[in-house]
Amino acid sequence: MRGSLRSDVVVIGAGSAGLTAAIRLAQAGAQVTVIAKGAGSTQLAPGWIDVAGYMPGERAPLASARRGIERLSARRPDHPYALIGVQAVSDALGWLLATVAAGPLSGYTYHGGLDVNMRLVTALGGLRPSACAPITFTAGEAAGLRRVAIVGVPALRDFHPRLCADNLRAAGIEASAHSVALDLRRADASALELARALDDTRARRAFAASLAAVVGSSDAVGLPAILGLREAPAVHSELQERLGRPVFEIPTLPPSVPGMRLYEILGHALRSAGGRLVLGAGVVSHERSGDLVTRIDTATAGSPSGYEAECYVLASGGFHSGALELDSRWQARETVLGLPLSGLPREGAPRFVHDYFDEQPFSRVGVAVDADLRSMGAQNVFVAGASLPGAVPWREGSGEGIALASGYRVAELVAAELGATPAPQSSGAAAPAEGVGPDERAG
Amino acid sequence: MIALATEVLVIGGGTTGAGVAWDAALRGFDVILVERGDLAEGTSGRFHGLLHSGGRYVVKDPRAARECIAENRLLRRVAADCIEDCGGLFVTTPWDDPAYAEQFLAGCAAAGVDCDEIPVAQALREEPRLHPQISRAFRVPDAAIDVWKTVSALAEGARRSGARILTRHEVRALSGAGDTVTGALVHDLRRGEDVAIEARVTVNAAGAWAGQIAALAGIEGVHVRPGRGIMIAMNHRLVQQVVNRCQMPTDGDILVPIRTVSVIGTTDEHTENPDDHTVPPAEVDSMLDEGEKLVPGFRQARALRVWTGVRPLFQDGKVPALATRDLTRAHALLDHRQRDGVGGLITITGGKLTTFRLMAQQTVDLVCWMLSRMRPCATGSTPLPGSESGEHHRLGERLARKEATLRERQIVCECELVSRERLEAVLDETETTEIDDLRRRLRLGMGPCQGGFCSYRAAGIMHARGSLPVARADQALTDFLKERWKGIWPVLYGDQLRQMRFDEWVFHAVLDVEHLPADGGAS
Amino acid sequence: MSELAELAALRGTLDHCVKCTICESTCPVAAVTPLFPGPKYAGPQAERYRVAGQPSVDLSVDYCSGCGICSQVCPQGVKIAELNAQARHAMKAQRGVPVRDRIITRPELLGRLGTPVAEIANRALGSRALRTAGERLLGVHRDAPAPRFAGRRFSAWARAHQSQAGRRRVVYFHGCGTEYYEPWEGERVVAVLEHNGLEVVVPKQGCCGLPQQSSGLFDDARHSVLALARALEPYLADPATVIVGNATSCTLMLKREAREILGLEQDPVLARVAERTYDICELLLELHQAGELETDLQPLRETVAYHAPCQQQGHGIGKPALDLLALIPGLKVRELDARCCGIAGTYGLKAEKYEIAMAVGADLFAQARESRAATVACDSETCRWQITHGTGLPSSHPIDYLYRSYGLDEV
Repeated sequence: MRGSLRSDVVVIGAGSAGLTAAIRLAQAGAQVTVIAKGAGSTQLAPGWIDVAGYMPGERAPLASARRGIERLSARRPDHPYALIGVQAVSDALGWLLATVAAGPLSGYTYHGGLDVNMRLVTALGGLRPSACAPITFTAGEAAGLRRVAIVGVPALRDFHPRLCADNLRAAGIEASAHSVALDLRRADASALELARALDDTRARRAFAASLAAVVGSSDAVGLPAILGLREAPAVHSELQERLGRPVFEIPTLPPSVPGMRLYEILGHALRSAGGRLVLGAGVVSHERSGDLVTRIDTATAGSPSGYEAECYVLASGGFHSGALELDSRWQARETVLGLPLSGLPREGAPRFVHDYFDEQPFSRVGVAVDADLRSMGAQNVFVAGASLPGAVPWREGSGEGIALASGYRVAELVAAELGATPAPQSSGAAAPAEGVGPDERAG
Repeated sequence: MIALATEVLVIGGGTTGAGVAWDAALRGFDVILVERGDLAEGTSGRFHGLLHSGGRYVVKDPRAARECIAENRLLRRVAADCIEDCGGLFVTTPWDDPAYAEQFLAGCAAAGVDCDEIPVAQALREEPRLHPQISRAFRVPDAAIDVWKTVSALAEGARRSGARILTRHEVRALSGAGDTVTGALVHDLRRGEDVAIEARVTVNAAGAWAGQIAALAGIEGVHVRPGRGIMIAMNHRLVQQVVNRCQMPTDGDILVPIRTVSVIGTTDEHTENPDDHTVPPAEVDSMLDEGEKLVPGFRQARALRVWTGVRPLFQDGKVPALATRDLTRAHALLDHRQRDGVGGLITITGGKLTTFRLMAQQTVDLVCWMLSRMRPCATGSTPLPGSESGEHHRLGERLARKEATLRERQIVCECELVSRERLEAVLDETETTEIDDLRRRLRLGMGPCQGGFCSYRAAGIMHARGSLPVARADQALTDFLKERWKGIWPVLYGDQLRQMRFDEWVFHAVLDVEHLPADGGAS
Repeated sequence: MSELAELAALRGTLDHCVKCTICESTCPVAAVTPLFPGPKYAGPQAERYRVAGQPSVDLSVDYCSGCGICSQVCPQGVKIAELNAQARHAMKAQRGVPVRDRIITRPELLGRLGTPVAEIANRALGSRALRTAGERLLGVHRDAPAPRFAGRRFSAWARAHQSQAGRRRVVYFHGCGTEYYEPWEGERVVAVLEHNGLEVVVPKQGCCGLPQQSSGLFDDARHSVLALARALEPYLADPATVIVGNATSCTLMLKREAREILGLEQDPVLARVAERTYDICELLLELHQAGELETDLQPLRETVAYHAPCQQQGHGIGKPALDLLALIPGLKVRELDARCCGIAGTYGLKAEKYEIAMAVGADLFAQARESRAATVACDSETCRWQITHGTGLPSSHPIDYLYRSYGLDEV
């Protein structure tokens, strides 16, 4: 076994919960190492920040995320929001808005808040209740849509304009469907490839000209989320200018371009704050002393490498990421540290039910925590994100909100444990970078 | 009401019915086939894909073994494209009676099933995942047969000879004059219309539902005891040849590599209702245990979905009830004039997929006799559409096709490499509004993500063609999600649970499929 | 477990794929050329259609550079790059290997031939006419970065050098790059290790087999790596002794790639060697953590850009070079976050892949230029040659900065 690397905090998982916790702690002056099996799921996420969109069992969307947080917390005392509290959610959103605004993608900003949910167009033509979204999305807020042109790109199989437009029509929005070629000389091009193409000035001018020819008298234009990766603000504003009307993005199936922008911004903030990120490092074992985890070992090449810290943040995700696992004998376990779970159906009770759209009993399983998001199995392990029990995040539209706010809240709790003080809101944002790509570290 | 007339009306669009339609059409009869669902939606499509060498039956039922090997050789020629010549092994695991192997060898010799013992080391080289403690291994000419492709090809062959194939046409009544059945009253489920079909001979090839059809003619005692068995598809080919346990037939004794997956089968439980698709957890558990005996680590491998098939096991009402596995797997051809005094009606039921052609031949021989028009059977020498070259399917075909058109063709289903072109061609041909039909025809959505990406794409493409209202397109998508879930949740653990949570995230958090404006039905 | 069963287990990791597309999005090759359809397609997807012994049908997998980023970023644990390597190997086994690949994957042979006639060989490599002929005859691109033979061998220096007995012994695995092209790099590594009180032994050693492996020549690669492991292992009797290397892709080959891709998990000698092998920066950071690294570092008033090569990232140890460089007073370090320089060992030398490799590297080259750094630090020699080729900036191993900061260049 190799030696070990010491930090104040080791964060396990590089999704938005883990990165938020890590950035906040690094900004508070802690030495932070993020270890992750692979890249986090932020870059697959649609880009908007769902905080509380629906109450389970109710069809009508929630008009306000704040109200939703209160209702979800009231209904289930084990809901993550009941532990995090509305204030931390609000602070976390404020922090995210500031971090994005100060990030490397100049001009790319997030907008919104807890009081009024936006209703943003999905690729199916649904209207997703969401608290916050990037500037490239906000013109798609349903309340402001009258006559909208939905435009697809034939090479992009992950967005079908007619299906989107016709569902919008059913919602009373006058939507028309169109298609404009963005020629990459191949039949299939992913959203990312198209976004990279539009980063190029000439390509986006040509695209704008083709768009202008089809969008007619619409008063807004909806496009799949392909409006540039590094040049997103420029692509977006240039299209708006050339078309003379608001333009908005609609997230597609993964890969998600807005998700990658956010991942880039968070990764940059972590580096700027001096945090370390180790990818390709799945946890293989750990050591304990009584109630404390003292060391974890990751599957580095050759033989495991160790990481030691005062506190650990478990933000490794849920069943979708393999952080939680159900085996063929129906035993569920937390795979990273073997922590106890909660939310499991009673012995013999159904894990899943026959109707896909009914709530699946198994879906609220997570790592058991106390009121301070501390694992019930280890005193110095705090839990954030999709590892938490009690929510049905995707169906109630709370996934990004829980990730962000629990990461934020855990950072406060861990900082208190370490005796550090999280940086105040104003300096919470990352310092502006010198160049686009390179980060500076002074020795 | 629409009125149609034909010489031969075939009820049932499984392999048997489609086989009868093909045979009769090749012999020059005017044929209509009606099927209440999609082709091969019943027992045929709920099958593991084994083209028997006969090895499975050599000890227990030598006659069936002889039929199997004869048909196996014949189908390799006429249905070459539907068959992958993967070969098969019988292996003696530590759980099998070693004495059976000698009986097996002798049985193979007697039944004419080619069988060679190979060294265990060689078997393990060929199949590195096999249980390392197998003590003997025998090579037999088992193969894998793609049932959906076969039934499509049979229907297409029949069509080319003038037959009409009517799917989603449900039989509501048999029409009759005196003691003779003269056709059927069917209901076109898609258009919501009744269709009266007049026929000189009606062939009841409804498989496990044959008793229900016979009852429409007032005939009793056609007891088709449905034997329900579960099968589990594993994510990829754990073995590249069919692997059988070398023992008397029992539950979970075979692993079949078919297309991109491998299927373990099966159990055998009596059920009253052929539409009963319950998957008892205990059966799943025992199947996984059996899988471990063939391929250690089976429980860690990824299970995609489970389904049940109901074998149509014919039993005469007079014989006392037996365990279904002990009922004969032989088929039954009933001339209801002789048996029940009802003319114009034949029932063909029971049997195995491997012998479907023989069953069809015997059935149409009887039709010839009933119509007094003796015509020779041509199915033994006429290749099915797509099989003219005589070349067997190879697993790499779709990959090779995609490779040749890497930049030219859009792929809709990435797991099963279904191109948009193929999808549109099937939509042109069938005008289907069900994504599940596309699944059977194209394997769309049958791979690891179970439609996680392609079902949205397919719904978008179907809707963009213009004929499917948006509410129906939404419903096609939600119906598909509901339908696939039924086959997934009973085996939802490990990697597939990971996938389903990921898919759920895409469908709910990205697409918000549960709250579509045009579709009130999802939630 | 037999080698075949091991490979079956590797194939089995395709079961973890949920099609999330993270690998597709981060693949540097698919981003610049449609000739490679992407790691998800070529890896876990295509693998379901492959049958051992049947003809390879997806020749596009040859355009995978083997950089390994897909496996690193996969959050589900699919061994994507390793599956692709297997498929490439099967394809080469059926279709034959170009003579070119047989030559450029043998750094030892080339080194032995070139070293005595270094001046002539270097002039030949610098000659436009000869390089053009070489491209036509062999398929090695005329513009591809070619190192210059040093004209001497590191091992000759090492034989003449006597390391002082220290508090701990390390075995130095220098690799072919140091041996034939950059012997001074090895001298610096030895000096830095000795400065930190370590006794350095340099066993007689050969190629790790990585170039052969990445071109699908698995049998040759197995032969090379097992011979190397057997050359190094006898020095590991003392449990405190470790092997350390400065060629990060070669140490990764020893640590993991040979075992996983070549199916050599069961070889006990290789297993012992793998367990005890360190990348030089990894070892120095570990010493620093233990309070055993000398910190008598003099200021270096310059700006350096740092690129962590793909193979270094494959170790799963983060970027220890950054921590080490941060110890040097006055040194301004700019981390470049572009993922790949494009060369991928010998990939970028091949005539049909040169343009792709340069397109892959374009982002990194631009970042390096924009960083206004005077030099680029990078842990892999082939990547350094490519970076210099793409930017004109001198590039050296991170250890060079420590060497200078310790004042060892003035001794």
